[in-house]
Amino acid sequence: MTTEAAQPTNAAGVAGTAVTAGVTAAGPDPQPGAVSRRLPRPKFGLDRFSGLYVWLLIIIVFGSWLPDTFLRSDNFQIIAGDQAITAMLALGLIVPLAAGVFDLSCAATLGFAVAVVTWLLQQGVNPVLAVLLAIGSGAFIGLINGLVVVRLNVDSFIATLGMSSILAAAAYWVTDGEQIVNTASKTFLDAGSTRLWGISLPFYYMVLLAVILYVVIDHTPVGRYLYAAGGNPQAARLAGLRVARITWGALIVSATIAALTGVILAAKLGSASQDVGPPYLLPAFSAVFLGSTQIKAGRMNVLGTLVAIYLLATGVKGLQLAGSPSYVNNLFNGLALIIAVALAARTHRRR
Amino acid sequence: MVATPVLRVRRLSKTFPGQRALVDVDIDVEPGEIRALVGQNGCGKSTLIKILAGFHEPDAGSEVMVADRPLSFGDPVSSDAAGLRFVHQDLGLVAALDTVDNLALGHGYETGRLGLIRWRQERAGARTAVRDLGYDFDISRPVGALAASERTAVAVARALSRHATPPRVLVLDEPTANLPAAEAQRLFALVRSVRDAGVAVIFVSHHLDEVFGLCDTVSVLRDGALVTTRPTAGLDEADLVELMIGRKLAQYDVPPADAAHQGEVALDVRTLETTALRGVDLTVHSGEVVGIAGLTGSGREELALALFGGCARGGVVAVAGTTVPQLRPDLAMRYGMGLVPAERHANAAFLEADLQENVVVASPTAFSRRGVLRRGSERSDVARWLDRLNVAPADTERAMSTLSGGNQQKVVLARWLRREPRVLVLDEPTQGVDIGAKAEIHALVDRAAADGAAVVVVSTDHDELARLCGRVLVLAGGRVVDELHRADLHADRITAAAVGHTLRSAS
Repeated sequence: MTTEAAQPTNAAGVAGTAVTAGVTAAGPDPQPGAVSRRLPRPKFGLDRFSGLYVWLLIIIVFGSWLPDTFLRSDNFQIIAGDQAITAMLALGLIVPLAAGVFDLSCAATLGFAVAVVTWLLQQGVNPVLAVLLAIGSGAFIGLINGLVVVRLNVDSFIATLGMSSILAAAAYWVTDGEQIVNTASKTFLDAGSTRLWGISLPFYYMVLLAVILYVVIDHTPVGRYLYAAGGNPQAARLAGLRVARITWGALIVSATIAALTGVILAAKLGSASQDVGPPYLLPAFSAVFLGSTQIKAGRMNVLGTLVAIYLLATGVKGLQLAGSPSYVNNLFNGLALIIAVALAARTHRRR
Repeated sequence: MVATPVLRVRRLSKTFPGQRALVDVDIDVEPGEIRALVGQNGCGKSTLIKILAGFHEPDAGSEVMVADRPLSFGDPVSSDAAGLRFVHQDLGLVAALDTVDNLALGHGYETGRLGLIRWRQERAGARTAVRDLGYDFDISRPVGALAASERTAVAVARALSRHATPPRVLVLDEPTANLPAAEAQRLFALVRSVRDAGVAVIFVSHHLDEVFGLCDTVSVLRDGALVTTRPTAGLDEADLVELMIGRKLAQYDVPPADAAHQGEVALDVRTLETTALRGVDLTVHSGEVVGIAGLTGSGREELALALFGGCARGGVVAVAGTTVPQLRPDLAMRYGMGLVPAERHANAAFLEADLQENVVVASPTAFSRRGVLRRGSERSDVARWLDRLNVAPADTERAMSTLSGGNQQKVVLARWLRREPRVLVLDEPTQGVDIGAKAEIHALVDRAAADGAAVVVVSTDHDELARLCGRVLVLAGGRVVDELHRADLHADRITAAAVGHTLRSAS
């Protein structure tokens, strides 16, 4: 299915075992009745929940440094709303990454959906139909990704990278390289910008999506299929799982969620241009990988991903309020990802 | 015994968090000696070897001398420089590369003035190295395409090849785990020639006949401590087993595998063909245990996978009268087949996942209600199975990777026994499993058959086939060449049949 060159689970796998091993305090074959059994070491969850501690630390540091600007409820409301789009994209990305396939085309799919839905509305198409068509185009993109990966045996990394480029071309074609502005449907725009308890609606869509994915991945057999296919595809196949179908399905799900996210972004922006999608790619990937060191360490998981997103966003916001230049955003995100995954890998090696 | 030891291990201890893996182990090995190192899984053998190889650092106070010079710990390069050489169980070869390149992984390439590889010299060197070990195969083929014993030879050649220092101690970690008996004999000849060259050999094996057949002395480890070191002469297998497990091995009942107990036909196979199999017919009744023997290349390796749909096949496979299409393990499973595949790590284990997920992966919906898992009842069911199979530790939340090989294998068995399969196919079910767990796995197979499963056991361990099966089919050249029944089911007889037919068809 996937070659060594692109096994998303590997990176997280390293990070993951690390922490599991730490928690269970395991040697290769402990003797029954060993002392450690009777006197378990206190567990503060410093590994699994390190993200939460760091998050708290960030809030305390910036809170005492900038009490007037940072510690205000509207600040937190802005952080929550701003990150909804990245978070939704990252949540959709968990599915293929858990199953051991990359979807590098998710951000391009998002951008394409923004272009499609905005253009359709501008042409006077019924908003409901426009939204359904845009989301449907996402499902179709996922279907093609799956076809290329499963049937044509192209590595998912390459297949979705190619698809990404094709979608960039398609988005350019739809928008004609211009910015198109949606003036047609006010209801549609309201759905992206109305605030509820001070937070814009996309945040609540994201929470709903997170709940659904959490239940599906953690409390139905689907999650087991995904993790089994991602953990050892050959063993999964010999345990009767239809790995090809799981892979295919995972790619359809991520593309559909990416398109849905694109529709919401279109409602939020009220306009479309051919380059809105790509900037979301790296933050979404970082969030999932950083998230895989958290909560359910070693696995791409919903809660960990959310912790990662908001941890990074809070840090960046604090730095901005403290007057840092705008490039700090990328710098902070990149450093945090590398350091977190490296720390987890180090714990793993010391085992 | 006046020679000075080339390897001198003193007070070697290693503590992992919560567990002492080695406790004050003293071992001396002399040049020109073949020393067996035995003990159950988890006794500390692998830890000892990993310390020698420089992968683990021992506790303070431990001391290892190689040729009277202290070994500095935790550094594979200084272990190598001291003359300690290793052939690990998985051999550590790159299957896609040929012998020349694999040898170069050990010592680097011979380069000319411009930094270009001197291919002609490299090839000549590889050919000599292989020939010195008594082998003659095409060194330009990818090692993945070589026979198992030839691959082992490549790994040994690499371990012995020119380094900065000559090899002093060669450690072979279960080198025969994947070798059929005849090929193992070639390896033993090789090991003896290495010994005769004055190298000390440490030979780790679960096969006690190899310990007696090959080794001069044996060191027994149990629970991290050295039990004894003795000459193999004067010991017998029962003594050695007792030393390893610290008690007499309980004798399990021999299975009631006679024809009277057989039920209806559970597995019916007609003209099974794969790249290696050339038309195999096989009928197995409920309650029957049928063994499959054969040398490497006989088609034995592919049979189990082909039955289950893990590789492409021709012919007809029917479970309880229903034909199963090829390449559909999911359907094979639905119709009542189960497969415990060979090479656990590649084919069966989800090492990062916990035991619960490893067990339920083959029946993920058994405990779900309206699509939602009921983890509690699932967990208690899995715990019951771990308990029944005597998995240690029986902790559903523990990661699979932290268990010993034997316990991992029992977890995989639990996965299938829990489904109560009509047909249970076992491929090398006790590969890399210690002697106690092996007896337990055998007892579980007996019980599954007694409960009405039709069992197919594919194995290179002919004692195992003799122990388990009511009938053994011997494969050679992709066909069934012999069928042995209860009355003449002895390991020697099976081996003779497998080897005999190979010789006959070759001539």
